[in-house]
Amino acid sequence: MRSEVVIIGGGMTGVSIAYQLAKRGITDVILLEKRYLGSGSSFRCGTGIRASFTTEEHIVLQKHSIEMWKELSEELGFFYLRGGYLWLFRKEEQVNAFREFSKIHNKYGVPTRIIYPDEIKELAPTINTEGIIAALYDPLAGKADPFGAVLSHAQACKKMGVKIYTQTEAKKIDVRNGKVIGVDTTAGYIETNKVVIAAGYGSRDIAKTAGVDLPLENVPHHALVTEKFKEVFKPLVIDWTSSAYIVQTYAGNILMGIDIEEQPNIPLTQRIDFIPTVVKVMVKLFPWLRYVNVLRYWSGYYVMSPDRHPILGPVDEVEGLYVAAGYSGHGYMMGPIVGRLIAEWIIDGKPSLPQAERLTLRRIKEGKLIYEKAVVG
Amino acid sequence: MGEKMKKGHPIFVCRCENVTLEDIEKAIEEGYTDLESLKRKLRIGMGPCQGRTCLPIVIRILARKLKKRPEELLIPPSRPPITPIPIEVFLASGGEEDEE
Ligand SMILES: Cc1cc2nc3c(=O)[nH]c(=O)nc-3n(C[C@H](O)[C@H](O)[C@H](O)COP(=O)(O)OP(=O)(O)OC[C@H]3O[C@@H](n4cnc5c(N)ncnc54)[C@H](O)[C@@H]3O)c2cc1C
Ligand code: FES
Repeated sequence: MRSEVVIIGGGMTGVSIAYQLAKRGITDVILLEKRYLGSGSSFRCGTGIRASFTTEEHIVLQKHSIEMWKELSEELGFFYLRGGYLWLFRKEEQVNAFREFSKIHNKYGVPTRIIYPDEIKELAPTINTEGIIAALYDPLAGKADPFGAVLSHAQACKKMGVKIYTQTEAKKIDVRNGKVIGVDTTAGYIETNKVVIAAGYGSRDIAKTAGVDLPLENVPHHALVTEKFKEVFKPLVIDWTSSAYIVQTYAGNILMGIDIEEQPNIPLTQRIDFIPTVVKVMVKLFPWLRYVNVLRYWSGYYVMSPDRHPILGPVDEVEGLYVAAGYSGHGYMMGPIVGRLIAEWIIDGKPSLPQAERLTLRRIKEGKLIYEKAVVG
Repeated sequence: MGEKMKKGHPIFVCRCENVTLEDIEKAIEEGYTDLESLKRKLRIGMGPCQGRTCLPIVIRILARKLKKRPEELLIPPSRPPITPIPIEVFLASGGEEDEE
């Protein structure tokens, strides 16, 4: 087998890269997915999409991604809604910190603002604002159906000639004289000069086979959904004090998560303390939840980088090797823009957004870390 | 829905999520040929019964279409709790802070 580009990983990142490459005419592409599409973190995510971050790099990339989410949802036909985000605060110092973040958001065209309980109640009817003093409202933020997003991208890729091999694992990236020459897979050897690592939690291991160390840690996170309802509230709501979040998904289920203490790089297991911990916070915010049924509980990895920004783009040591991983818990939302940027790196040699160039592996090697402060869940 | 109605009797395979035999056959033809993707494409198995009613039927439909034995298909894991449980029940147990 031979292919111009091989993409390792069939989550939101991998299918988006394949789609953006194909739209620019590069269709001689093989995408490898070791289980089924979306089986990594993408189908386990909270479905939230926002640009209310604290660094120029994140805000600018995400602002572009949000425009793309809208276009893609129309082009490919999946659910996407700009229902907003509400970050709820219980302490004055939280409000002050986010007032400063809001200035950064506004500077880059993200219209967030501080609001008070009356307006919070309008945006999320049925919410109990006891103990909540204010919130940051991000009207540009929203949510999208991850199943529809991943599967429709993949379907469109196949129509354009991209080959998608599921149940196929990349075992080794073959490097000779500092250049990528192929990938060994469970379905045979593929000759190629360009490989993109979009393998989520598997990125560090597969990069190692090319002699590249990606400083990523896989940290388990947990989520649950309830039975379905008609639309109760539009925004994704974050209780910043506890890091718990809640969102009504495209299908009507109520999805929630919270940060509980976890060890990095351990297998995904069920934590019996997760459900009580998250529902206790949420029942205070939405008292009617008490009578609602929990349908499913699961866990998945946040792939954490040292500074909570993804590692994107080419790797200096190995020609033809690209990375898109380490999103630190917000990589679903970045899928569209990362797909476009990686396609640009491959086709044009550089990305159209200069902020992306600051997110390569080199920043970590050179100690130029860019810390993100607003990581949720 | 319009299409389904015209043909008279839609055969519902997944009652929780209103998915018909026709929906499933169409999705398989479009290339959704594994249970995990069919599940996400159509939401079969994602209702309150968690697929206990419909998945065995879907497995047979898919096996027939692919000319495989049902045992050869990869079966999705079931996620806890196996039956729906009211949130109230969890309020009484464990978890971090306790007041109520
Ligand atoms: C509970 C939870 C909630 C979250 N909420 C949000 C949210 O609200 N918004 C948001 O933006 N993000 C959220 N995230 C993070 C988000 O899910 C991830 O950042 C995103 O899905 C990353 O997509 P990906 O395609 O890079 O990785 P993945 O979806 O993990 O895909 C990587 C794929 O690579 C495959 N793979 C691995 N190794 C190999 C190999 N050697 N060969 C072939 N294939 C391989 C895996 O099977 C996997 O399917 C959440 C995550 C969790 C766990
Ligand atoms: S009948 Fe399909 S999930 Fe219940």
